[in-house]
Amino acid sequence: MITTRLVQTVAALAALAAIVGLYLKLGGRLVSVLPTRLRSGAAATVWIGPAVLIVAVVLIGPALSTLRLSLFDGDGDRFVGAENYTTAVGDDAIRTSLRNSVLWVVTLPVLSVVVGLAMAVLADRVRYESAVKFVLFLPVAISAVAAGVIWRFMLDYRPPGAPQTGTLNAIVTTIPGVSPVAWLVDRTTNNLALIGATLWTQAGFAMIILSAGLRSIPRELFEAARLDGASEWHLFRHIKLPLLAPTIVVVMTTMAVIALKAFDIVYVMTNGAYETDVLATSMYKQLFSDRHQGRASAIATILMLAVTPIMIYNVRSYRREAIGR
Amino acid sequence: MRRRARTTAIAGCLLLVAASCGDDDSGTGSTNGTQAGTNAPASTDDGQGTVSVAPSSDGTTAGAPTEEALLEAARAAALEAAGGEEIGGSVSLLGVLGGEELDDFLEVLVPFEEATGITVEYEGTRDFGAILQTRVEGGNPPDVVSTPALGQMADLADQGEVVDLNELVGADQLSANFSPSLIETASTGDQVYGIFSTVNLGGLIWYDPNVYDGPTEPESWDALIEWSRDKAAADGVTPWCIGLESGAASGWPAADFIDDILLRQAGPEFHERWWRGEVPWTAPEVKRAYETYGEFATDETLTYGGVTTSLTLNFANGADAMYSDPPQCYLHQQATFMGGIITSNFPELEPGVDLDFFPSPTFNPEFDGIQSVSGEIISVLNETEQSVALARYMATPEAGSLVGATGRWLSPNSQVEAEIYTDPFLRRASEVLQQASGTHYLGNALMPTALVEAFWKSGLDYVENPDDLDQILSGLDEVRVEAYED
Repeated sequence: MITTRLVQTVAALAALAAIVGLYLKLGGRLVSVLPTRLRSGAAATVWIGPAVLIVAVVLIGPALSTLRLSLFDGDGDRFVGAENYTTAVGDDAIRTSLRNSVLWVVTLPVLSVVVGLAMAVLADRVRYESAVKFVLFLPVAISAVAAGVIWRFMLDYRPPGAPQTGTLNAIVTTIPGVSPVAWLVDRTTNNLALIGATLWTQAGFAMIILSAGLRSIPRELFEAARLDGASEWHLFRHIKLPLLAPTIVVVMTTMAVIALKAFDIVYVMTNGAYETDVLATSMYKQLFSDRHQGRASAIATILMLAVTPIMIYNVRSYRREAIGR
Repeated sequence: MRRRARTTAIAGCLLLVAASCGDDDSGTGSTNGTQAGTNAPASTDDGQGTVSVAPSSDGTTAGAPTEEALLEAARAAALEAAGGEEIGGSVSLLGVLGGEELDDFLEVLVPFEEATGITVEYEGTRDFGAILQTRVEGGNPPDVVSTPALGQMADLADQGEVVDLNELVGADQLSANFSPSLIETASTGDQVYGIFSTVNLGGLIWYDPNVYDGPTEPESWDALIEWSRDKAAADGVTPWCIGLESGAASGWPAADFIDDILLRQAGPEFHERWWRGEVPWTAPEVKRAYETYGEFATDETLTYGGVTTSLTLNFANGADAMYSDPPQCYLHQQATFMGGIITSNFPELEPGVDLDFFPSPTFNPEFDGIQSVSGEIISVLNETEQSVALARYMATPEAGSLVGATGRWLSPNSQVEAEIYTDPFLRRASEVLQQASGTHYLGNALMPTALVEAFWKSGLDYVENPDDLDQILSGLDEVRVEAYED
């Protein structure tokens, strides 16, 4: 059975390759036989067409169908207009998740830039740089679910007096007079604890990007500044930071998108209990527990609208940078 | 046909799934397993203790049958279920178990695999409801499912996605092996959508006989609470310990007991109308059940570490404080399977000597003797030679005996005799069940998913903020109205 599957897979791949090859060949011939004045337009259509088609089928189509579903009732049978949006905004649970998502979008990018930059700048100055970076980068390779489980152990709570099994509370309670904190229940700490766990998995990534940006700054600038008597802080503040700005933007926008997409860490660590739901977990609950396609689609649409400006900004700044080079 | 939200699904995490979280916590085994049909019978010896008395389904195994005799009988039954030949092939089984619980469950299927040559491919997930729903909608359902989520299966049965076991296994065979109430519980209309594979007795109160000096047969719930208050005032020790944390299903231990209280306080009739969505959650009976639970669960002086600890403690470690030195609590409320969890946490405990239980006392004299149960059913979604054989096998008393012999679950099969239970807790539980004036299924396995999840979560909310009860209940009622409409 497995061999037939293998044969089928190989055959399908070969067929795909043949089709692509044929298309390229025929496309090339078509373009070349056309009169010159039509050639550039035809070439664009022929070569971009398939990509546009694929994007339309796998991205734009589903997005439009989500948009359509968000205007229908739970089963997708009856048109209800903007009702799902008004319900979503009026619903306490969904409003909480909106609030939390805003908190995530603001906090995660800022923290990951601060932490990533600090690590990059400091690691840049030591001999065992690659070892440090390797260790700091390790959590990136851990899946979000595993990270959630790890952090649940780290944040474990036991009543005062009992042996603290959670790392954080074990540390906190060594301070005399301090009682353990229920990190994931306490409303002042729980969202930050979840963001912190995500930060742990992402800071290494931010560090690597920022570190690469730091490397691309010509060393002569540092030497010149040092000769002019700039202190290390001035060097950082007035040379490294401004030159790193485009990289920082890339990191921040990436993190903002990660924050908006946040799901697994929340699902594993609290599943939204104690007011920790974010938009993605709300959407999941609407879809799979409440089986309400309309409201789930409305949340997805809100999420999409929130991500779009960030993506546009990201693409724009990337383009500007590409042109600048 | 009963009306029920058409698109509901019960997230497959009730007692058993949740119980498997505990096994994961104690670091055992994989959560997902496939059992090849080649295990030597001897390999089951290390898994379980020996079983002294086998069921006598055909009346011939009277002597002193061993575990081998049980397995032999099961293999014969499996072969018969498969129409007398080794049909081979495989059957996919989607379920909710993991860890040690899954290992024990698969033990029951080993003779089936050996006798028929069929490989059972068990896939365990805690997100059962969503996964099953997407697989059914995607046209790729598993052949067979094993689940505590009866509400979801009833829905799928109403949609024609589940094979009627009346035809597959035969109505005679079903009624010969299962009590009418169990058949009725897993039926919708005149269709039987599930056969029970495991059963748990709910509403038990666990204690350590060495240190607990309170009543083991309290006259009433009030008497037990009164003892708790006196004890707390006298010793300064919190008498109860509670653990409500259970990952995505957190809060279910509270919901389960509130469910049990409602059944035995307001009566089975009200209870049924309640889980069928026919009475509002704001009804005084429901409120009273929450408040009865709250008498100990929301009282900081009666629960170990107070409310924060109840909320953060994993349910599988819920009774651990009973065995710290000195004990931090004396009582823990949970269903039969908790015995297995506590004894895995503390392997040196001798069941019956260091750990025991009593059924929770009467909440209302009018409904004395009523007990709540929960469990798992097997349903067939995809009719193949192999899946039919598996369903037929699971309906046999021989398979039922192996379920009881795991020491983890009560056997739902009415032909299985109490002697099969070597585990003292199960033996007692089966006696309690036999003496019960009525057994009823817990409502939170039967409701639509959205309501079940809201119910579980309400357990956390109520314990945390008991003063918000009215608000919590009206929120639940909104979910009820929506979940049962259409």
